[in-house]
Amino acid sequence: MNLAHIHLLLNHFPTVGFAIGLGLLVLAITSKKDELKRASLVVVFLVALITIPTYLSGNAAQSALQERTDLSQAAIRAHEGAAFWGYLFMEITGFIAWLGLWYFRIVKRVANWNVAAVFVLGVLTFSVMTRAANLGGEIRHPEIQSAGALADNANVPDIAKSIGLFVNGHSWVWPTCETLHFIGLSLLFTVVLIVDLRLLGMAKKFSFAALYQLLPLGILGFSMNLVTGMLFFIASPEQYVKNVSFHWKILFVMLAGINALYFMLVEEPWAIGPGDDAPAFAKFAAASAIFLWVGVLFFGHMLPFLGNSF
Amino acid sequence: MGFSKWVRESSSIFAFPSVLLLHTIGMGVVVGINAGIDLRILGIAPALPLAPMERFLPLLWLGFWVNAATGIVLVIVDATAKLSNPDFYAKMVFIALALINLRLLRNRVLRDPLVDKAPLSTQAKVLAATSLFFWLAAITAGRLMAYVGGRDIGQ
Repeated sequence: MNLAHIHLLLNHFPTVGFAIGLGLLVLAITSKKDELKRASLVVVFLVALITIPTYLSGNAAQSALQERTDLSQAAIRAHEGAAFWGYLFMEITGFIAWLGLWYFRIVKRVANWNVAAVFVLGVLTFSVMTRAANLGGEIRHPEIQSAGALADNANVPDIAKSIGLFVNGHSWVWPTCETLHFIGLSLLFTVVLIVDLRLLGMAKKFSFAALYQLLPLGILGFSMNLVTGMLFFIASPEQYVKNVSFHWKILFVMLAGINALYFMLVEEPWAIGPGDDAPAFAKFAAASAIFLWVGVLFFGHMLPFLGNSF
Repeated sequence: MGFSKWVRESSSIFAFPSVLLLHTIGMGVVVGINAGIDLRILGIAPALPLAPMERFLPLLWLGFWVNAATGIVLVIVDATAKLSNPDFYAKMVFIALALINLRLLRNRVLRDPLVDKAPLSTQAKVLAATSLFFWLAAITAGRLMAYVGGRDIGQ
């Protein structure tokens, strides 16, 4: 199995999985059930998470097919361009869904603005993503190609290529993004360390709920790093696609994202008041959060040493 | 020098990569905890009490000493380039300022008996803002050491 397989394995989640989340959201809005709304926000968040490796592994699939003369390279490029926009919208929607799950813990109900925002962005994401999926299908199935489609797509500027040219063409962009990546890392560490070390027994005067207010800082740091990290990837995919350290890094990001859901969805940690000792499972979740984020940092750091970056 | 030669030239993962990794983790700990305190003072998470934040300071200092130690190693293995790079001195100045700032924050804000009872003073907010600025400047100067001035073997 190689990364091209992974792309085939994952590539229906951003459309089919997302449609399920969106359908659930519509059902929740019409039935006015908060629990259902939260469930659909979780599905949207998870699909956004899984879309990260889906997009990244697409580059591996592309390089596996680049020698093939029986396939249209223009069709592959058209798919990549559309997928970029789908990915961008998906991550924004996932971020807003996560924000809604976080905000629920603060105000004890699902905010209408959030559901509305996720719905509108979700419909937009879905339409962009289905176009990407359709163009992806056309790579292997020319029989579904509509006549003028390729000609149309040839006129669409290649967004990934323009971004790559911008990043590589200006000597200040890469160092600036690296600096921002480090600042984002520190913000993320702020929250990971403070919240998780409290659960492990440090500074017990804080209740869990009080510390949880810091979480948007962590997600801000994560978003900064997702954006700057994507700029690195798009500008120089050959440094990452076949880099084992990068594969581990992305796997650890996924696991850390799932770990973050525990603190948002499970009631157990929320009962921890000032001075309370955290229950064993909360401690386990906290320790694994620290392990996973240090792991992300470790594999990011090892990109040039265990892999082929730079 | 045998040690610096080993760190610089060994292909072992325990040599240069590990030292740099510890330096990055230490940075996350130090700047992470300090930024948490700064941003809380500047208005994020207003219901979060400030005084108990002092409990995290020993961890911050542990991170600092890890970085002082790994930082010295990183300078030793590349001394000529680092010590002739003005950006290196800029980083040191920003770190010194950030540490003085942290001391002021602890003494005048975290240890203020009224800290969680009265609204925060302008002085507290100014100290939090300058603290953030100094750490961001130190990170920026540190990262840019690979690009300006001398050569950096991390690249």
